[in-house]
Amino acid sequence: MTSTVATDPADICLVLEGTYPYVAGGVSTWTHDLLLTHPDLRFHLVSLLPTREDREPRYVVPSNVIGMDHIYIQEIPVGNRGLPGSPQLFETLERALMQVQSPLGGHAELVAIMKALRPQRDALGRRLLLNSEAAWDMLVRMYEARFSTSSFLDYFWSWRALVGGLYSVMLPSLPSAKVYHTASTGYAGLFAARARIETGRPALVTEHGIYTNERRIEVAMANWLFEGPSEGLHVDITRRNLKDMWTDTFASYSRACYAASERIITLYEGNQQFQLDDGAAPGKLAIIPNGIAVDRYAPLRRSGAAPRDGGRPPHIALIGRVVPIKDVKTFIRACAMIRDQIADIKASVVGPTDEDSDYFAECRQLVARMGLESVITFTGPVRLDQFLGQVDVQVLTSISEGMPLVVLEAGAAGIPSVVTDVGACREMILGRRSEAPALGPAGAVTPLSSPRATADACLALLADRDWYLSCSAAMRQRVRRYYNKTDQDRAYRALYDEYMALPDMAPPTVENASAQAAE
Amino acid sequence: MAGIGFALRKLVRQDDLIGIIQGYGHSALVATGPWLLTVISLGSISFFTAGIATTDDLIAFRLIVIYNFAFSLVLTGPVMMIATRYLADMIFLKKVDGAVGMFLGALALSYGTQLVIVAPFYLAFVEIDLGLRFLAIFNYLIITGIWLVSVFLTALKDYASITRAFGVGMLVAALAAVMLSYDWGTAGLLVGFTLGLAIILFWLIARVFIEYPYTVKDPFGFVSYFRRYWELALVGLMQGAAIWVDKWIMWFSPEREVLPTGFISYPFYDTASFMAYLTVVPAIAGFVVSVETGFFEKYLRFYRDIQRHATLGQIIDNQRALVAAVLRGLRNLVILQGSITFVVIALAPRLFQATGVPIAEIAMFRICVLGSFFHVLASCLAVILAYFDLRRAMLSVYGVLFTTNGVFTVASIGLGFPYYGYGFFLSALITFGFSVILVAHYLGQLLFLTFVRNNTSVE
Repeated sequence: MTSTVATDPADICLVLEGTYPYVAGGVSTWTHDLLLTHPDLRFHLVSLLPTREDREPRYVVPSNVIGMDHIYIQEIPVGNRGLPGSPQLFETLERALMQVQSPLGGHAELVAIMKALRPQRDALGRRLLLNSEAAWDMLVRMYEARFSTSSFLDYFWSWRALVGGLYSVMLPSLPSAKVYHTASTGYAGLFAARARIETGRPALVTEHGIYTNERRIEVAMANWLFEGPSEGLHVDITRRNLKDMWTDTFASYSRACYAASERIITLYEGNQQFQLDDGAAPGKLAIIPNGIAVDRYAPLRRSGAAPRDGGRPPHIALIGRVVPIKDVKTFIRACAMIRDQIADIKASVVGPTDEDSDYFAECRQLVARMGLESVITFTGPVRLDQFLGQVDVQVLTSISEGMPLVVLEAGAAGIPSVVTDVGACREMILGRRSEAPALGPAGAVTPLSSPRATADACLALLADRDWYLSCSAAMRQRVRRYYNKTDQDRAYRALYDEYMALPDMAPPTVENASAQAAE
Repeated sequence: MAGIGFALRKLVRQDDLIGIIQGYGHSALVATGPWLLTVISLGSISFFTAGIATTDDLIAFRLIVIYNFAFSLVLTGPVMMIATRYLADMIFLKKVDGAVGMFLGALALSYGTQLVIVAPFYLAFVEIDLGLRFLAIFNYLIITGIWLVSVFLTALKDYASITRAFGVGMLVAALAAVMLSYDWGTAGLLVGFTLGLAIILFWLIARVFIEYPYTVKDPFGFVSYFRRYWELALVGLMQGAAIWVDKWIMWFSPEREVLPTGFISYPFYDTASFMAYLTVVPAIAGFVVSVETGFFEKYLRFYRDIQRHATLGQIIDNQRALVAAVLRGLRNLVILQGSITFVVIALAPRLFQATGVPIAEIAMFRICVLGSFFHVLASCLAVILAYFDLRRAMLSVYGVLFTTNGVFTVASIGLGFPYYGYGFFLSALITFGFSVILVAHYLGQLLFLTFVRNNTSVE
């Protein structure tokens, strides 16, 4: 296949895994906004989904999206039963897959697999690649080579899931585009890397969360996956091996994606160490934080306003859905401690309460048990621009976050925040390491599930007028300077313009890849 | 974090691998039970009446029973196989409240379809007394009922009670037939024999109703399985047809008899072959025992260890043990049945003298004994295939048996009387060789079959 473009190529091909437009959430919001922000660019979407199910789009896809492909992970065409030259094909695949399932896999293996599959792509499918005796023999050899003390059943399914997933993004045809931009590594990253190598057009990756990290956590928690009889040490070794195979494979996918991408973007500094650990070249790294419309939020509160200035009681708010990941209970406990010092404190939990009704009920019981009915209000969803004006301190007790925009929205209005040390929270409140001049803290960062620390930080802000005002001013400034939506838009536009204009390229120079260049 | 990534759980489906165990547990008994009953019934009738079956009464009785056994087994075979599978799935899913309904549905389906053939045959085609016509139809229905209730035999697990039912029933059948024949001739024989079979049928139905105390529910739910497991339905048909096809063809040999009643038969060949089948009863029993004691344990361990997260090394060890158990069972069967077959062939003249069977049948009997030997071995191997849910392979075994048995028997008629029986023998021998190759092939790649080819969770 050459990189000539038959029909009008899209400007940007966005590769999205398990998200827009079918799943609501941070990445989808980001994607939708990106599409709306650049109405003159023509986008093609590739949506990777776990299964072929009826899905209702959660967003109205804008009209500058000129095409949309769906790839279902694990869904592979039937294909021929046999092909000439399949022994050599399996030999190549085995060598590459062995590496992919080890801590050493990456770009070279991706190139080798692509090269092996490409000539007969239309004839290849699950019959030969997954269900043939040759594929079985390969699976057995790969098991014997590295996992011979592990549960064979678990290896078998893991192998099928991982290798099947790989083939499912290797076999579909590629939409033509000037730039391939993936919103994660993983299968989407693999697809973008393949597009980069096959078409010679540049690839970009914007990682919101760190994919390998999320998979690592998921695999670590997946005890059901490797349930075996407890036979002491032996089983522990078994489990570690197979879990390693999963995480190693995803790490290999990330490495391949990083190697093929021209730029490796993330939302905040905290993610970059993970990217470096997974093999990202430091020179490619960039941060483009999410921004907000600063001017919409800045006027909501008078600058220089402190608690009790308007004569009303101090008011703290947790803005978020009432779900366990937000750890609302820690907030409630902190409120009880604050109430012991400030009797007329008001607290709000702002956000939908209907997502986890059990958890909501538990929260209300906790409120009742601590006698906080007159202190804490569950407001349900509200319009933030009408609500923020009455808030003095924003509190975030989440046990996991990416880059919560509410911290910025409240911050733009001069509201200091007390946040847990998750995601981008630390650098939003205390500033990036590279911030110059340093603007100073805009509140406090607390450990997870620590009501005492949260309460103390709130009390410090509410009681110390000077501290409060310095935090408020720092936050206003930081948001305006670093988290302005127009900056975010400009940064992406500059990247797009730069890489769209780039002439076709040879595949990235990694060993094995050079042979491709002439094609 | 936002909605990236997939639930790993969805990617990893581990069900169904073990399902076939429950589907085929104890299929040895299900596969061989009806055959055993046919062989014992017809073999004994042939054996005890061969020398004295000169009266018209006995001839008529014998033919009615032969026809009924033959056609009910062939025509009910598909329903039996489908119902067996459906019941096995119900037991596996622990939803047995449809069991009684299925039995009645299978009964209604079989009676409904088969009466269309059987009623015109007895009411219009053959010339016998009116009472005998209805008795013959009734006898047919009872036999069909026994085939269908035998689907439940292994599920009942109460082998002692089942054995008692068959023992008492057969005893009553023999005694009542003889006693009633003095006054009522053919009708008496048939009433007595049918009474014995009815005792077996209703005894077993009672056991089924005790085991499954549910109301009738979804009686025709199993019908959908005909489409899903069409190979099994065909196996049911072929299994019976393969046993009978040589007899049917021989009914058209030059030496056949067409009775004034309209029945066609070739008593020489029928007797020789039923008596020959009688000699393999020890092999059938021995096979069931060896499966239950040796093979099945290894079979369970093979699948359970996979499910219990064994390493490939352990799984391969289990596979070897399983293959060894099959080989051991087969070897014992060959030795046991081989000696019996040898002795019977050697002692045939004395056996014939003692029972008064015409000595002219001796050559035909000997070759049929040898044929039955290979037939029973091939059938046992087909049961092994059934344990691994190799439906197509099983079908091909019975397909080969049916086809070669038919073709070679036709050829043997062309060659003349001295070759009668050689068609069946050659067919059984070839089928045996074929099934050995199949079983060896599939057991050799059992792992690939288990995990990939036969795994319903694999797409």
